[in-house]
Order: sequence, then C-alpha cells, then structure tokens
Amino acid sequence: MPTEEFEKLKEALREAPTEEARKAAAEAMRRYLEKRGRGSRPMLVSLATKKRGYPTAVPLNKIPEEMERNPAYYNLIKKVITKEK
Amino acid sequence: MLALADFDAPTRSASGFLIRHILPRTGPPQLIGLLDRKTTFTMLTFGDLIIGMGHGSPDTFTGQNEVVLLEAGKYDPRLVEGKFVKLLSCECGQVLGQDIVDNGATAFQGYTEDFLWVMDYDYILTPWDDPMAKKALLPVVCSMHLILDGKTNREAFNAEIEGFALNAEEEEDELIKSCIEFNRANAVLLGDESAKIRARPKISFPIPPPPLISPLRI
Repeated sequence: MPTEEFEKLKEALREAPTEEARKAAAEAMRRYLEKRGRGSRPMLVSLATKKRGYPTAVPLNKIPEEMERNPAYYNLIKKVITKEK
Repeated sequence: MLALADFDAPTRSASGFLIRHILPRTGPPQLIGLLDRKTTFTMLTFGDLIIGMGHGSPDTFTGQNEVVLLEAGKYDPRLVEGKFVKLLSCECGQVLGQDIVDNGATAFQGYTEDFLWVMDYDYILTPWDDPMAKKALLPVVCSMHLILDGKTNREAFNAEIEGFALNAEEEEDELIKSCIEFNRANAVLLGDESAKIRARPKISFPIPPPPLISPLRI
C-alpha cells in the first residue's frame, strides 16, 4: 500500500525537470526516507557504467542530495518511481 | 562460462547471489573477480553458455573494474556463436544483445535500462543473506537455474518475469517495489525462444561459501 509520502514523491517527480522541481522532489524524497526508516545501511545500487554520469551505489539517505546535484541521477529516480520514459 | 565482476558494492551484491546459487552448477571456466578480464574472457570460445554479471551500457558489457569484455561489433563472433547468453547488467538489451544474436548466439536475455536494487551494506561479506537484495536478485537466479535445467529461453524468461511480479506484489517498501517493477519492465529476451542448453546436474551446497573478503572500490 503506497504511503502518502511516496505518492507526494511521485507527484513531485512528474513535474518538468527544472532546478526548482529537482529541489522539491529531493525534499519529497527526504520526507519519504525519514518515514521509511528501516534497514541498517541500505543503498540503491545499479549495474550502469561510469559513462552514465552518476554513482552506481548511493546510500538511501544521500539520494536527495544526489538528485539535487545531478540531473542524470534525478532522471534515473524519476524513471524508476514514476515509470515514465 | 561464468563471468562475474566483484569490485564494488553492486557487483559484490550480485556476484554473491550467483556464487551462492549458480556457481556450483556451472563448470569451468568461472571468471570471478580478478579473473574476469578481457584476456581470459576472449580466449574462451568453447561451451554453450555465457552467464555474465557486471556493469554495462547499451553497447558494452564490462568485467572487473569495468574493463570492456564485449562491445557491439568489436569482438570475435566465435565467442558467442551457438551460445545461450544471459547478461545481468544495465542496458545491454538495447544494442549489444541484438548484436550478440546477429553474431550467432542462439538466445540472449538482458535488460534495456538500468538494473537497480536496494542492498544492505551490512551484508557486504555475505551478500547472499541480504534480505533486501534478494527481492530483486532471486528471480534472476531462478531464471539462470531454469536455463541450467535445460528449459527454453522463453520458459526461463517467463519465470524471471513472474518472480519479479510476485516479489513486487508482496513487497511493502515502495522503493524496493519500484526497482523490482522497473527491472521487470526492462527485461528482454532475444533470439530463438525455444533455444536451450544441455541440462546440468542439480547441485546445491547446504553450507554457504565463506565470507567474501576481497577489497572493494568505494
């Protein structure tokens, strides 16, 4: 059952990818992760090469920072969560 | 042939599951960690199967420390000719997969986008015990088992898709669920759907391997 915070994160990610929208989505991700709060040292990992321009292992609590800093990582999170291509 | 990179958190997590569950069923050559490099990989043109895990891009599949093992249009076709190729890697299903089939592979399974999952770094020494990672990685292990059982490309692929669907349905954590659904949506099968390999004996070790203590790139 999706939580309210996750739904708000999805909505934020559906906005046009401006810098303000990235910050708003990162803030929504922070709120979601605060509520999520489980796991000892969870990381989001992928098998992409360095050429993609984002780290392949990001601790969950660092995802919002990476989303704000790195448009490529923001786009990846957007694709995964909203399922939009 | 088994080719498993093992130098950073994602490759350690994924290779852990394949070492625990798939390695006992595959014969040599097993290129793991430092052995997973171009010189060894390209010499091994025999066999009927390549199971690879490493970082990837639309046209490349890489091994240890991201050294390129296969690049579309730039490898000896004998490396893949007549083989069943399964690559657990990002995006290889876009270009490289079709190139592998065009060069004579009977079947290819891979992913057209990033393959992502949530892992718990506390399990980095015994990744096969990671309860978060297993939701995304066990369906892949299941499909590899079916390939080794002599099931067809289509049967093995369908089992993986069903495994992802089941795990996503049961998962309560939205982020883990989203990753599983994303991987499911981007899994791809190419080549002959009825292709299969000679069935390997079913072997499983009740005792897990010793902890993986080789250093990792942070």
